[in-house]
Amino acid sequence: MSSLRPHLSLDRLGSVIAVLIGVALFASPFVVYRANRIVAGEGRMLTAALPPAGALGIILTGIGVALCAALLRNPLPRLAAAILGLATVVPIVGWSATFVTPLGNTFARVSPGLGFWLLALAFALLAADALTRLRLGPWVRLAAIAVAAGAIALLLLSGAWNDLSLLKEYANRADSFWQEARQHVWLAFGSMAASCLVGLPLGILAYRVRRLRAAILQILNIVQTVPSIALFGILIAPLGYLATHVPLAAALGIRGIGAAPAFIALFLYSLLPVVANTITGLNQVPAAVTDAARGMGLSPRQRLWQVELPLALPVILAGIRIALVQNIGLATVAALIGGGGFGTFVFQGIGQTAIDLVLLGTLPTVALSFATAIVFDAIIDLTRRGPT
Amino acid sequence: MIEIEHLTKRYGETIVVDDVSLRVEEGTIAVVVGTSGAGKSTLLRMINRLVEPSSGRVLIDGRDTLSIPEDELRHRIGYVIQAYGLFPHRTVSQNIATVPRLLGWDRKKIAARVDELLDLFQLDPGEFAGKFPHELSGGQQQRVGVARALAAKPAVLLMDEPFGALDPVIRSKAQDDLLAIQRRLGATIVLVTHDMNEAFHLGDRIAVMDQARLLQYAAPAELLTHPAEPFVEQLTGTAERPFRLLSLTRVKEALEPGDAEGEALVLSTTLHDALARLIALGKDALPVIDASGKAVGRITVERILAHGRLPA
Repeated sequence: MSSLRPHLSLDRLGSVIAVLIGVALFASPFVVYRANRIVAGEGRMLTAALPPAGALGIILTGIGVALCAALLRNPLPRLAAAILGLATVVPIVGWSATFVTPLGNTFARVSPGLGFWLLALAFALLAADALTRLRLGPWVRLAAIAVAAGAIALLLLSGAWNDLSLLKEYANRADSFWQEARQHVWLAFGSMAASCLVGLPLGILAYRVRRLRAAILQILNIVQTVPSIALFGILIAPLGYLATHVPLAAALGIRGIGAAPAFIALFLYSLLPVVANTITGLNQVPAAVTDAARGMGLSPRQRLWQVELPLALPVILAGIRIALVQNIGLATVAALIGGGGFGTFVFQGIGQTAIDLVLLGTLPTVALSFATAIVFDAIIDLTRRGPT
Repeated sequence: MIEIEHLTKRYGETIVVDDVSLRVEEGTIAVVVGTSGAGKSTLLRMINRLVEPSSGRVLIDGRDTLSIPEDELRHRIGYVIQAYGLFPHRTVSQNIATVPRLLGWDRKKIAARVDELLDLFQLDPGEFAGKFPHELSGGQQQRVGVARALAAKPAVLLMDEPFGALDPVIRSKAQDDLLAIQRRLGATIVLVTHDMNEAFHLGDRIAVMDQARLLQYAAPAELLTHPAEPFVEQLTGTAERPFRLLSLTRVKEALEPGDAEGEALVLSTTLHDALARLIALGKDALPVIDASGKAVGRITVERILAHGRLPA
């Protein structure tokens, strides 16, 4: 009777996480030390990366979290363990940077090593899994993302990470960082707003006029298949022509290269999800509901605003979410044609083989996409529940 | 009163409704029956112009519906469909308030009307006003659908298979409720169904449609005793007809003087139910009393059977 025998049941994902943690703790360098920002680095294992108390702290935390992940089923303690792990490892890597950097050496660079990344990944996986299992409501998720953003801001402002290479790159470019950040947000969100302004009416039109629907979707589909770099390139010629021949265009800052073609390309890319989801959303309004609305004497305009759009809203927002997250990523490429944004750091970094600079452009982009996706998902859930 | 005059609807070559004329008197229920695809719903939807007639016209209280703007016309005509079409993003009270709001009633008047209707349909306002349609049972949704259609006190109510989605037990209760409410409000109702029992249960007059044509429009008993065409006879159920006829007649009409032994029947009992009692009790006759309990005569199997006889 095997079922009567007491046994420890292992959580599958948890076991993988535990193995990851083990590899991170004992077989990977916690940080990488480089004499200057472009030379190859040398890994430092935990024991060499931190004073004994710090190393011990991380090892104990890591083992504790690994045990929780492998043995516990209840998502709440698993989430607590994951958060504890992240709250320990993330600040401590800054301490490690201070510890490893020789005193007064401003050329040396210390960046998080494979061990740190594996630990962060394992903890994040555990947290994400627990959060999924907890099925949190939209308000709690919004609160969670706000707390996470606050914690990251606090960490950065506290100076705990100041000796990390990433922050040293940032310190050298603090002004241009925020300028590029604004540019990135403007490119991604501004083009999204423009495509909502055009896409929503276009979607409603395509929904109402059946014959236009196929044509509109076909054209947008073709636009979507053009690779981003090619689309940026294609736009250079007509915009350049416009700029040289129409003084107003030039005055508005429209040029063959720069932000204008990037903005227009992102606008075109985000048009398809907006239009397609507007049509889908309106289409899935139950026929009985529109029939009843007509039968009660709601005019076409009243039907649209009072019945069809409110019911289509979650699907339309899902389209905007897809387009927005896609735009935040794609806006990186804008830097290639002088459009600015976080891509500037990525391409400069690649040019200089300075991986920290690449990360300075990449990490904010990823964080921005991630936060946008979570916030939008919560909003979509809220609109699905109907007004209260 | 609704007067339908030579109403025809064509889609290209296909004729969906073919030259239908009928008249629904004030405060009565006209039931349109027929097989699916007979044009019943199209006929109904031409009354509130959800479908524009190809030719012919509809008069409501003597006024040609074409002379009234579409939306305004529909504000005055209640409309109930099988799937109810409740707005899923609005509460029960918001759903019911739809047409009064379109008409610009003031807030107090709307709230009072909503509560009145919820009471009328036996839905406790405290419990149901704030609920969303998905939180209601099928029968409750149906009642809210009818309440919403009645909100602005329309003179005319159009119902397209309004009980089609209900299970049999709830359905017959909903039919009784509708009858009671109609008697109370005196509304003129046109109801489409393919359920013959429902037609006989509810209809003051029944219109039988087949292949776009109106075959017969008559009182239920006449439909049974004098079917205009074989199809009408077939639709009313050839074997069922005597029983249906008995269901339409009351004991009062077959009463004979005299006395009998046994449990008394009330004057308003249908002959169908009276015969059922006689069979069950193994009697040839039973005494009859009026509503006050006074003996008024007796009912016999022989007289009942005579009432079920159809003309050759």
